Amino acid sequence: MKTPPDESQIVRWLDGEMTASERSAFEAMLTQDPELRAEIDSLSRLGETLRKNLPVERELPHADFFNSQIQVRISQEEMQSAREESRASLRQSWFSGFRLPWVLAAASAVVALVAVTFRPTEDERASFVISSYAPNPSVQARTFHSDEANATVLMLEGLTALPPDRKIVGHQVFRSETDQEVATTTLFSETGDVLLVLAKGAENRPQVIPRSPRS
Amino acid sequence: MKMWTSSVLSLLGLMLGTGLSYSQAPSFSVSPSMVAPATDGKVWGGLIYASNGEVGGMDKKLLPSGLQDLSQRLAKVFSFAHFELLGHHNQDVFRQYESWVVPSRDLFLKVDSKGPAEGGGVNLHLQFWQEQQVLVKTDAMLRVDSPLFIGGPKWKDGQLIFVLMLTRQEK
Repeated sequence: MKTPPDESQIVRWLDGEMTASERSAFEAMLTQDPELRAEIDSLSRLGETLRKNLPVERELPHADFFNSQIQVRISQEEMQSAREESRASLRQSWFSGFRLPWVLAAASAVVALVAVTFRPTEDERASFVISSYAPNPSVQARTFHSDEANATVLMLEGLTALPPDRKIVGHQVFRSETDQEVATTTLFSETGDVLLVLAKGAENRPQVIPRSPRS
Repeated sequence: MKMWTSSVLSLLGLMLGTGLSYSQAPSFSVSPSMVAPATDGKVWGGLIYASNGEVGGMDKKLLPSGLQDLSQRLAKVFSFAHFELLGHHNQDVFRQYESWVVPSRDLFLKVDSKGPAEGGGVNLHLQFWQEQQVLVKTDAMLRVDSPLFIGGPKWKDGQLIFVLMLTRQEK
């Protein structure tokens, strides 16, 4: 009774990953099993057809943003690793210091004091910007935290100024309703009047439509 | 080559599996209007006009409790003497889909929640739009009562500033 090959053997043979002896044994099996041969031929043809008809390479949409996000993630992971190494090193040096009894006593006093007086700093309670990307290359996004203002700042430099005669209309929006089916968001005033409707236009760009004038 | 072959096999399996599960799916539907959307918090967004000339000022009743001193705080960052609140928007941050903060149709913000952050706050993906042009895309972690000031375009003799603050976080 012959043992049929499992899927991994077929894949390894198709991918040319078998050793010479494995390949010989497998191909001997193929000559004795026309059904298996036919199945593998069929699979090879299907793969070839898909390879010819499906694009192997596609242009990545927003590739520059994608790249910047990858760089940010790499930096974050590097910073995290560095922090962990630093903590480990700090712990090691502290434990070596504890060999001395007087250091232990002093440290205990400090720990007790810190436990009583410790409060989170402003920074630990503050919002922060992880990454920013301005699609317009002439615009630079700069972020910082202002201790004086107790605020996180995202400064956009290089933006085109709005014309001075442009009328900027503000609204007082108190709630919104989103209809997922038609991808619109309706914005309401405090009294429940419709102020604006936001809909998605071409290329998923938002389009804000003001309230229709009352008839 | 191996990846390609594996992909072909996976694709076939996926097609078969999808067809099977689709044919076995129970036929029922839930009206979205019957279910209140889950939220990760609430934000306040304001559009400010900063200028050294005469401006309309700010009605503190329209500011969230954590931003009653907004003018003074803005003055620490932006070199202007006066600040006018042009528009503001209180908005839930939806968990499952995008939220829009639109104090003005000229400058507004798209907010996508990435979920609660460790140690408090909400991770957000923000897009700052000027009409149909996105000015900046940013990932930020907002904590309650800790505002984000976005320095926007110059206008007249001053500058437009967008302020976003998380006013409430869902537990």
